[in-house]
Amino acid sequence: MTASATPCFATEGLTKRFPRVTALDDLTVAAGTGVTGLVGANGAGKSTLIKILLGLLPPTSGRASVLGLDTATQGLEIRRAVGYMPEHDCLPPDISATEFVVHMAQMSGLPRTAARERAADTLRHVGLDEERYRPMGGYSTGMRQRVKLAQALVHDPRLVFLDEPTNGLDPQGRDDMLALIRRVGTEFGIDVLVTSHLLGELERVCDHVIVIDGGRLLRSSAIREFTRAEQTIAVEVEEGQRRLAERLAALGETVAAQGRLLTVQVSADDPGRTHDAVRDAVCDLGLSLLRLEQRRGRIEDVFKEPVA
Amino acid sequence: MTEPTAVIHDIGYRHYDGVRLGRGRATLALGVQSLRGVFGFGRTTRAKIMPLLLMAIMLMPTVVSIGVMALAKQFIMPYPGYAVFMQAVIAVFLAAQSPYLVAPDLRFRVLPLYLSRPLTVTDYVVAKLAALAVALFGLLAVPITIQFVGELLVDLPGPPHTADYLGALGGAVLYAVLLSSVGIALASFTPRRGLGVAVVIAFYMFTAAVSTLFYAVLSSTGRDDVAPWALILNPFFLVDTVQSALFGTAPINDEGYPPGIAACLILLAVIALAVTGVLLRYRKAAS
Ligand SMILES: Nc1ncnc2c1ncn2[C@@H]1O[C@H](COP(=O)(O)OP(=O)(O)OP(=O)(O)O)[C@@H](O)[C@H]1O
Ligand SMILES: [Mg+2]
Repeated sequence: MTASATPCFATEGLTKRFPRVTALDDLTVAAGTGVTGLVGANGAGKSTLIKILLGLLPPTSGRASVLGLDTATQGLEIRRAVGYMPEHDCLPPDISATEFVVHMAQMSGLPRTAARERAADTLRHVGLDEERYRPMGGYSTGMRQRVKLAQALVHDPRLVFLDEPTNGLDPQGRDDMLALIRRVGTEFGIDVLVTSHLLGELERVCDHVIVIDGGRLLRSSAIREFTRAEQTIAVEVEEGQRRLAERLAALGETVAAQGRLLTVQVSADDPGRTHDAVRDAVCDLGLSLLRLEQRRGRIEDVFKEPVA
Repeated sequence: MTEPTAVIHDIGYRHYDGVRLGRGRATLALGVQSLRGVFGFGRTTRAKIMPLLLMAIMLMPTVVSIGVMALAKQFIMPYPGYAVFMQAVIAVFLAAQSPYLVAPDLRFRVLPLYLSRPLTVTDYVVAKLAALAVALFGLLAVPITIQFVGELLVDLPGPPHTADYLGALGGAVLYAVLLSSVGIALASFTPRRGLGVAVVIAFYMFTAAVSTLFYAVLSSTGRDDVAPWALILNPFFLVDTVQSALFGTAPINDEGYPPGIAACLILLAVIALAVTGVLLRYRKAAS
């Protein structure tokens, strides 16, 4: 991995305590280039981490850096180089998307003419057409999310923080937004940190995923290892669960029983082998199959993992 | 549904490698945009009505005064008293425009977008204060400047009131700084614009009423020594006192004001308090 060369961001023992809760708890993590997903349930500390990375919130202890810049002392330089899309609504209703994005470009230091050009380009790239001249108060959630993304990209940052960009979108809108994020990371060449509480949706667009829970790091790995490791096959047979488990174990598969269900870890190096082994074992033992399904890594599984 | 944007998507992404201006220029841009907005430029027609109407009302005494100078050769409207004379109009302008400058950014949570850029809380506050101060200065300086030009053109007997005019311009700066900081301080405490308008206008009416009342009570009970102090509870009389102390203009109130040095200190203290309040409020909003 190139992560060690120019980490997009890195934290070291980062802790943030609010009067009542500890939002981040001794978090040490780093992300390389490309699209990085930050996954966690509500209150996991995702937004808090982003605010610290922007240099807007001082951590209780620990350190963080973004693009090699220290968040504690170089906040201004960081904010010059990054873009931020907040999780909440942030659009004044009575002005148009064009005016708004031009203004935000100027606030990032672009001269007025350049700001106009960049705003028009960026709004086109996020897929906002004629509607961009209308006041934003009448926009759909999908359009609003696009404008929020556009204002984060308008000054051509090196890195963008997208806080729950798929929030409130319908399945189609979600897919469009995820595709757009993928394009930002690949075609636009802008590194992305995107948060979500669904691992499932992020694994489609991310190169790397970080999972946090209760402010603690659960896992940080390249998406490939992630889905591989998390991929399991669930098998349910009418009788002979024990025999099947023994046979599979003898073949070198990792098997666990969950009630009437057998879960078989898909081999990371040779996924085909596991599938074949399950099929062959069921046939050879003459068992009647009730259920056979492929399971993708889901956030719940990740949460279970340290226990298992 | 058709996807009209699909074609446009084919235009590849271009990186921006032009100039990136510093914080100062971004602050300036925010200030200019805010100032334009105060007078309704770049806003809806409805938003333009109020500031332009008030500006027109501010010009009415100027028009009358120039008319009287031209026709009757009489000077009726001294420059230094213009602001006190028009204080209700100025207060309405302040009440209508201070919340416009700060409330929407709080209400619609635009502030985090500013602060995630190389702009600090202080830059933001400075831009907003400066925009309102410049607007108020314009509101006061334009009418008296037009009147002064009129006076020079009409060429009344005797020398023109140049010193008075310049003193009033100096006073306009004081009014602008005091009123903008108080207006922004009051308006920034609520994200609701209507409430902000009400709070600012209530503040003006309260200080004006209390000032008049205390002054009347104190003078009628023979406490002439403290009565002038009651007067400067009204921010307009406070500035008038400072204006006459600093620029030697004639005070509006014949009975006299408290010592100029005290008024200067009070003026500074009020401005400092208001600006500190705004900064603290925004520091809190930012975290
Ligand atoms: N300013 C604050 N003051 C007090 N507590 C806070 C503050 N900001 C966040 N918290 C708390 O810190 C914890 C983490 O919050 P955070 O917003 O970072 O979570 P999140 O992962 O973004 O959650 P969500 O998915 O709901 O957006 C929560 O328990 C939250 O209540
Ligand atoms: Mg959040």
